[in-house]
Amino acid sequence: MSGRGLPLLASAVLAWAAGGFASRGYSSPFPPPSEMRVPASGATGDMLALALGARRLFSDLWFIRLMQYYGTSEFCEHEEAAGDPHHHCEHDNFGMGKYPLFLPLARHVLEVDPAFTAAGLYGAASLAFNMERAGEAEELLRYGLKYSPREWKYLTMLAAIGYSKAKNPSAVAESIAPLLRDPDCPVMLKQQAAFLNKKAGNYAAAAAIYADIAATSRDEAYVKNARRELEKLSRRARRP
Amino acid sequence: MKDLFLARAVAFNSFSESVRNRFFTLFAVFAFTAVYASVLAGVMAVDQEARVLTDFGLALIELTALAYSLFGVSSSLLKEAETKTIYLVFSRPVPRRVYLAGKLAGALLTAGLMLAIMGAIHLSLLAFRGFGLPEFYAWALAGTFLKLAVIISFAFFVSLFSTSAVSTLVISSIMWTLGHFAAEARFMAERLPGFKGIVFNVFLWLIPNLQLFNARDAAGAACALGPGVIVPAASWVAASYLAALWLLARKEF
Repeated sequence: MSGRGLPLLASAVLAWAAGGFASRGYSSPFPPPSEMRVPASGATGDMLALALGARRLFSDLWFIRLMQYYGTSEFCEHEEAAGDPHHHCEHDNFGMGKYPLFLPLARHVLEVDPAFTAAGLYGAASLAFNMERAGEAEELLRYGLKYSPREWKYLTMLAAIGYSKAKNPSAVAESIAPLLRDPDCPVMLKQQAAFLNKKAGNYAAAAAIYADIAATSRDEAYVKNARRELEKLSRRARRP
Repeated sequence: MKDLFLARAVAFNSFSESVRNRFFTLFAVFAFTAVYASVLAGVMAVDQEARVLTDFGLALIELTALAYSLFGVSSSLLKEAETKTIYLVFSRPVPRRVYLAGKLAGALLTAGLMLAIMGAIHLSLLAFRGFGLPEFYAWALAGTFLKLAVIISFAFFVSLFSTSAVSTLVISSIMWTLGHFAAEARFMAERLPGFKGIVFNVFLWLIPNLQLFNARDAAGAACALGPGVIVPAASWVAASYLAALWLLARKEF
């Protein structure tokens, strides 16, 4: 054995180099680190995401943060001016508000895992339809398309945003209809589609979407709202 | 053929030793953490619960198996040398290459069993919460096994020159981290000018690119592990084995 020391070492080096050579063609499906605009509070998490090869898990965490951010009511300027900094103003329409960090947070979810389509759709739909920031929604979708160029859901959403800019609710509802059949479709988008169908007078289509939300969503708020809307629609249908 | 039987005996011995050693406590910890996380995920992730639960479980499986494997491997040869068990083995006609191959096979068998059991626990939890089998699941576990194979063999090599089990653990963990950074490091190397870039590129050849096997992370981008990943995995395992054998051959027992 002692006489084989050098050949053993040489074979080890060669085998290691062969591994490197065989893996040289690998190209990462993820955005390069230079594209990650890390929010100050999340630098450690992003380091861990890269170091442990856990981008998917950490993009889930960023998505949860995004939902928590968007789910928290914003401070109202008039209340702050009145000296009540702890008061939260409830908007009449759920989801409306300024939420200035929404786009950076939503984009960061895709920077960590660009294949998280549901997060991209959720972010774009919230920006375009709830907050009326179609430009930011398009920016988010274009970033998603950069790494998932064949993602038809993003393209469909872009078309729907185009119709919403033209103030054509029935065309928006029609264009997002294929997205609703996807099991991964964000419930918020379904809710939006039901609302737009109702607005356009397509009550049967709206009722079908609300029934789907009530049957499949795990979000209590959306389920309760869907049941309420279904009741209203059935009352309307019973009217002579 | 005789070598194969000897290696099998060493492998099964090493495997049963690992299984007796805190093996099931670890699964209890894993199951508890997974159930706890599932309750949290259900509340926070709402409609993305299936995805969060799957990702969390797969990451936890990988880290648990990594920690247990590295802990076992880093102390395995040292312990056998300290307790003089290794003298008993080498006093019989067991070649060192066979002994090392058996030890490596035993460690890989343990890692494989751990992945299978934790995967089964995880899938039952997903089924309990009403979710089906994620389509990339088997690929993710296969990728994790390949990563573990590379790092376990590397840890065997390190354990033969490091002075303690802790230093083996630390060096192997650093290699694990660097392995996942390989793609990002290559991106930076491409942007470094001149001599610096050359040195950095040479350094990169010393790091196994573990992202190649990270099907768990690339689930949305490319679900399957290509057949091409077997070659680098086998090369890196073989290289670590040969280097470890070189060190073992130089040791006086």
